[in-house]
Amino acid sequence: MFTPASMKLTRNAAIAFAFTLLFGMTGCVSVAPWERGNLAKPQMDIDPHPLQTEMQSHNYSSREAAPSHKSSAGGGGCGCY
Amino acid sequence: MQQNKRPQCQGSKQGYTHPETHSVKSSSHTLQALTSAALMLPGLLISPAHAAGTDRINFQYSRYQEGERNLYGVPQSYKPISADVLHGSGIFSLTDRAKFTFGYTQDTWSGATPVSTTPLATSGGNRPYTVNGVVVGASPILNSQILLDHDLNPIGRDPITKQSTGVVDTRSVLVMSSASPETRRQANFGLSYEWNEAALNVGGGFSRERDYHSSFGSIGGRLDFNQKLTSVKFGGGYTDSQVSAILDPDSSPYITKTAYAQQIVNRRGSEILKGDRQDWVANTGLTQILSKNALIDASIGYTHSSGFLENPYKATSVIFIDPAKLNDNLIIGDVRALIEQRPNIRNQVALSTKYVHYISPFNAAMHLGYRLSVDDWGVNTHTFDASWVQPLGGGWTLTPRVRYYSQDSASFYRPYLFSQQNYRNQEVDSFGRQVWIDRKNPTVQYYGSDLSNLVDQNGSAVDGFSVDAQPKLTLFDAGKLPAHFSSDHRLAGFGSLSGGVVLSKILGKGVALEAGFEYYTRASSMQIGGGNNSFADFDYYVANAAIKFDIEPDASMPITTSSGSFTAHTHSSLHHHKIPPATVMFGHMLDKPGDFMAGYRFMYQWTGGNMMHGAHKVSDQAIVDQGCGNKDCQFTPQFMDMRMHMVDLMYAPTKWLNVMLMPTFMDMDMNLRQLAGARVDASGAHSHHGAAGHESGAVGDTYFSSLIKLLDIPGHRVHVNLGFSAPTGKTDIKIRRSFNADGGLIHFGMQLGSGTWDFTPSLTYLGEYNRWSWGTQISGIKRMEDRNQSGYRLGDMFQATSWGGLDLARWLTASVRGVYTWQDAIHRDFNQYNARIGPMDFPRNYGGQFWDMGFGVNAQIPGGRFAGNRLGIEWVQPIRSDFNGYQLNRQGMLSATWSYQF
Repeated sequence: MFTPASMKLTRNAAIAFAFTLLFGMTGCVSVAPWERGNLAKPQMDIDPHPLQTEMQSHNYSSREAAPSHKSSAGGGGCGCY
Repeated sequence: MQQNKRPQCQGSKQGYTHPETHSVKSSSHTLQALTSAALMLPGLLISPAHAAGTDRINFQYSRYQEGERNLYGVPQSYKPISADVLHGSGIFSLTDRAKFTFGYTQDTWSGATPVSTTPLATSGGNRPYTVNGVVVGASPILNSQILLDHDLNPIGRDPITKQSTGVVDTRSVLVMSSASPETRRQANFGLSYEWNEAALNVGGGFSRERDYHSSFGSIGGRLDFNQKLTSVKFGGGYTDSQVSAILDPDSSPYITKTAYAQQIVNRRGSEILKGDRQDWVANTGLTQILSKNALIDASIGYTHSSGFLENPYKATSVIFIDPAKLNDNLIIGDVRALIEQRPNIRNQVALSTKYVHYISPFNAAMHLGYRLSVDDWGVNTHTFDASWVQPLGGGWTLTPRVRYYSQDSASFYRPYLFSQQNYRNQEVDSFGRQVWIDRKNPTVQYYGSDLSNLVDQNGSAVDGFSVDAQPKLTLFDAGKLPAHFSSDHRLAGFGSLSGGVVLSKILGKGVALEAGFEYYTRASSMQIGGGNNSFADFDYYVANAAIKFDIEPDASMPITTSSGSFTAHTHSSLHHHKIPPATVMFGHMLDKPGDFMAGYRFMYQWTGGNMMHGAHKVSDQAIVDQGCGNKDCQFTPQFMDMRMHMVDLMYAPTKWLNVMLMPTFMDMDMNLRQLAGARVDASGAHSHHGAAGHESGAVGDTYFSSLIKLLDIPGHRVHVNLGFSAPTGKTDIKIRRSFNADGGLIHFGMQLGSGTWDFTPSLTYLGEYNRWSWGTQISGIKRMEDRNQSGYRLGDMFQATSWGGLDLARWLTASVRGVYTWQDAIHRDFNQYNARIGPMDFPRNYGGQFWDMGFGVNAQIPGGRFAGNRLGIEWVQPIRSDFNGYQLNRQGMLSATWSYQF
């Protein structure tokens, strides 16, 4: 059973994880701007096909119970079918 | 811009210390500085949040199509769910750093949807019906009986004959209902501002359906650290939604709604279930460049929802069992459908990670993602997805993608419930006597064990038969049911696997095409750990196509000075000829070979007000008597709105020939009212409209044409258009089957296309002199087929129009226009069932002669960031109408166009 207490624990653990990532990685990476040619390519965009992503997430969220894939934007309507 | 030294393993602070102190000493440093300067240009240096670089407009159409659900051999009378989605969005720079974004999405869906789940062994569920002795479909029967053995195992019935098989059958089945088309519209807006190492964005919007309104707002930002190797993102949002679910008049009498009695109101004969919900979202994330070929993105999000979180159209089957019969060998269960009850609070936490790696040998990128979410309803989910973005050269990119998803079921999900009590009991008073009420006077109560043995309040004997006493019934004790229950299959445990491809092609001139396809299959057995509700398995596919226009501000153009003087501008777009008012189609040509124009046209047409016969208002009684041939009319339209979205694509292969392609998207809504004096149809067919009305919307007909220049001398131009329209719009849209009657095809005017190949020629003359411009056009539509697939064809049309325009400024033209239109009535008739309930269902009540005036303005943005964009808007006001037969009056039409020449 999923209790509020265990939920809080999960949340704290997740936040701790995020901060570990943040401070763990920022220190030791060195990629100079002139070495970022590959990273700047369109295929390396975090979301290379935003129109597709938007549409897929609308379909998933009307058929699945996970929270909406969109980060903080609202909308999407009822999806009551 | 800071100078970039080669970083050591350094903290983010160090990276920023005294960059100015490093003077550029050697040429290699100069080269580095230049390179880095170049890379810092927008769009080149990776900015992890990826604010889109260029101004852009996108149009996308997609179609969602579900497969049939498993009804165990029972024929399905409803088509599976499909949805047509039109999406338009854009991003515009307001200044170097500020951008404005907007989006519009419209989806229309229809088809079969599960209303509840029952054991397959009930006497109801999907009950087959026959036409001419053949089983052709099934009606949803929500309340039924079930035979149970001593251990409450269902005794099976044949799904078609409903005869008992005598053996235990524990399978469940979805009870399918259907809906007429319904449309959702969503608009959203956003503003963003970029600093060198930070960004902030705010956004908001709303989504509207007949039964669901929501408004939302969000704020978010990004901070870059460590020479943009690290970005931190954060955001928050709030959505407020109002539910006013229109309960299906066919099934509502059979659904138990007592838990929501306080929330149900009656409006125009329909029961509306009202509720509010709020959703709060907060998230934060991090994007980190790991190497020159890899980056990772991680985020955590929290969603808090409260209020009415139910799906008001989903019911749960509860099998009521008489506690006195529990020890029998064969128990009859009373199956009832109750609107589902979910907790009114939900907390969800989602953790997402994404890893992107550049694969040098292929010049490709591999994207790997994982997402975990947990919530206090017990729905824990895992999502894995992987895609491979492969540029192929020549502007082509191919992206295959695969995704796996698994969720646990909500703690309160049950396919159906048992409750050891009667659905209804006769009330018993404090003396243990059964209570009866007087049917003629329900406030009077009697007491006793049967009709021949009753007493009234004073203890005097009463003859139960002569007073027509009946048992006073009370419903089950809701306290004995679980507090929360739902059998919505979205809350069940399941897994799903989907895969697809995206193909995109950059055409040059700032135009890109994109097409995507995805197939999705859901199976209970694919849940991590396995599931046991395979009756809800289904699949769907989605296909979509998009066109994207990059609007590069013309660098050669002088930016508008604050004085706004026109004389400073020499941009070629100002040398374009005047374009005709917004409603006129095929009205101008491109001048130079190789020119390309993209545009968008929107038309909104209102009909409403009085019903007309010829040129005159007509009474309800006259419509009842004469509007529907030799039948009586029962209904008449109250209003009908039609909206058309059209994408204009125009290309000039030579100076004298232009080709055009115009896909359209239509949507309409219509409300009917009962005619005063209409005799009620004994069959009850189609008298169910209430507040629901009708909507339809999807792809309309597609126009393509060639424009040929006949004359081009200074001040005078003539061109002819030889165009065709392809019947891509549907003409077989149906009204949903109501409980005991087929809905049939929807009214002619609500079908989305002509259904025939049509010839659409026109001849246009344009003139201009100084500030004055004028023009005239004659056009027609000739249907080239005798009938469409539904058996009829729309009437031919002829139109003549002339206009005059005056430049109010060099960039702004006002116009006045006169229009005459003749349209023939519809020929032939539907070859399938149509309910024939009102004048809109009769072919001769279409067409007529119409006179209109148009008032419009055209603007051509002369300078600044939006230079070269053209906008037009026109209001078309009906002046006189002479309708064929009986029709709803015309109220006017608004046209708006945007176009941009590349």
